[in-house]
Amino acid sequence: MISARGVRIEVAGRPLLDGMNFDILPGEFVAVLGSNGVGKTTLLRAMNGRHGPSAGTLALDGRAIADLDGTTRARSMAFMTSDDAPIDNLTAREVVATGRYPFHRWWQWNATREDEAAIDGALQAVGMRELGERAFETLSSGERQRIWLALGLAQEAPYLLLDEPTSHLDVRFSHEILGLLREQARAGKAIVCAIHDINDAAAFADRMLLLGDRRIVAWDTPERVLTADNLHLAYGIPMETVRTSTGSIRVFA
Amino acid sequence: MTARLVGLLLLAFVTLGASLLVGGVDLAPGAIFNALAHPHASADVTIVWQLRLPRVVIAAAVGLELSVAGALLQGMLRNPLVDPYLTGVSAGAAAAITLAIVAGVAAPLIPGIGFIAGLGAALLVASLARRGAGLDANRLILAGVSLSALFSAFIALILTRGQSADYAAEIISWLAGSMAGRGWNDLALSLPYAGGGLILAALAVPMLNALRVGTVRAAAAGVNVDRAQWLLLASAALLTASAVALAGMVGFVGLIVPHLARRIVGSDARVLVPACALLGMTLCMLADAAARTLVAPAELPVGVLLAFIGVPTFLYLYLRGGVAA
Repeated sequence: MISARGVRIEVAGRPLLDGMNFDILPGEFVAVLGSNGVGKTTLLRAMNGRHGPSAGTLALDGRAIADLDGTTRARSMAFMTSDDAPIDNLTAREVVATGRYPFHRWWQWNATREDEAAIDGALQAVGMRELGERAFETLSSGERQRIWLALGLAQEAPYLLLDEPTSHLDVRFSHEILGLLREQARAGKAIVCAIHDINDAAAFADRMLLLGDRRIVAWDTPERVLTADNLHLAYGIPMETVRTSTGSIRVFA
Repeated sequence: MTARLVGLLLLAFVTLGASLLVGGVDLAPGAIFNALAHPHASADVTIVWQLRLPRVVIAAAVGLELSVAGALLQGMLRNPLVDPYLTGVSAGAAAAITLAIVAGVAAPLIPGIGFIAGLGAALLVASLARRGAGLDANRLILAGVSLSALFSAFIALILTRGQSADYAAEIISWLAGSMAGRGWNDLALSLPYAGGGLILAALAVPMLNALRVGTVRAAAAGVNVDRAQWLLLASAALLTASAVALAGMVGFVGLIVPHLARRIVGSDARVLVPACALLGMTLCMLADAAARTLVAPAELPVGVLLAFIGVPTFLYLYLRGGVAA
């Protein structure tokens, strides 16, 4: 369980988010929502131990995340950044193999049979088993996102943190990625995913963490979070929530 | 990839054998083999064991050290234009060596002075490049380039002073890179540091591989990026300082060899680092053999020859490949 108690996050000495309390459980898909600059990425980085909270505690199964060593952290949670570092001369499989780093001793150069199995499994899970030997730079945006996801899956960590994995994707590829994440949640992993598209989040997430006004505006199921008042507070513009004939929620700005 | 690595190993061995054949006195391959196998006192044995072999081994060591250092730094900074001299090692060493020669320091002490000053300069560059617990890639490049320029200006100042004319030949032989007059002693002195550098490089190989996906993702996969950067920089500085103490400023190897090696074996550090070592050895042995023969009995500076051999080869391979490469 990732638990936040009274967490305050500052950037350059200025408070970005404050008074945050939440518990994220295995098997649930949590969408992190909020307008640009509200602190979604920084919150994910803090949950990954890369940005210590300036007050309160952010813990993984009772241990402060910022104190975890790199290996323990990487075996507990994978973090998929939205940074687009250029990748040269690497096959998709080699990219995914990076996820096995925390399983190697410091003198170990070569992949073990377990590593190979985990890499195969991760490529399989994202439907990229056949493209493993392709040069990474020849893959499409959607395929690259799948490979980044596979890198996280190769870490075999129970928690997956993702920073806008669908931001450059069209609706079909977005839904494919979110569908893969949904499957992972069903298989028992906790998914914490920053998403821009509110409707995508509503369609795939179990719970939503809506950020705004330097705090958590709402933390609950999509039906309870996506009210006109909450959305107005978070985004500063009037929005309307409609329930369609199929029972799903749509938000219009 | 293993086959290619074995090919590079064979190439290095063939070059080593061929380099032993080259020299002022004509020695047949049989005579050289005999001298190697039976090191009893004879003119041939002296030539092979005391003149040619140390020379060839030193060339190989310099090539290995600079190429591995270049591969580590290019991988760490994810910048293909980086070479080992970015660490400030060579410029610092060159300045100290120039000063020591002008001050009349005894010749046997010069390599040691170069080594220490080189590491000192690397520490200075590293301290300027520090950010938090780690290193900032851009700051490292800027600090390395600007300090190198400062040291070069210092050398130019010493060289242009009238009284330096007497020492100019010796200074220039250091600046242009040369293995003339070096022997087993010099090699033995640099060996512990080069060995230390290589051990650090071996420890850094898995981190270097993980860093290929970028520092943020590598850190998420459990790499202690700060520690990896210090390890890689320390390794590169030790290797470069050892090379500079042996042969002065031998340019281009550390820049070009990693590129050539990546062409041959790809970017997997487990193969790339050994491939750089072998290819660097080969290239330096070739250049040194050429330096000894082209204008015999005089010698050309090996650094100059390396540029003459290395740069066209490099440009040919790269430009021929075009954008797709």
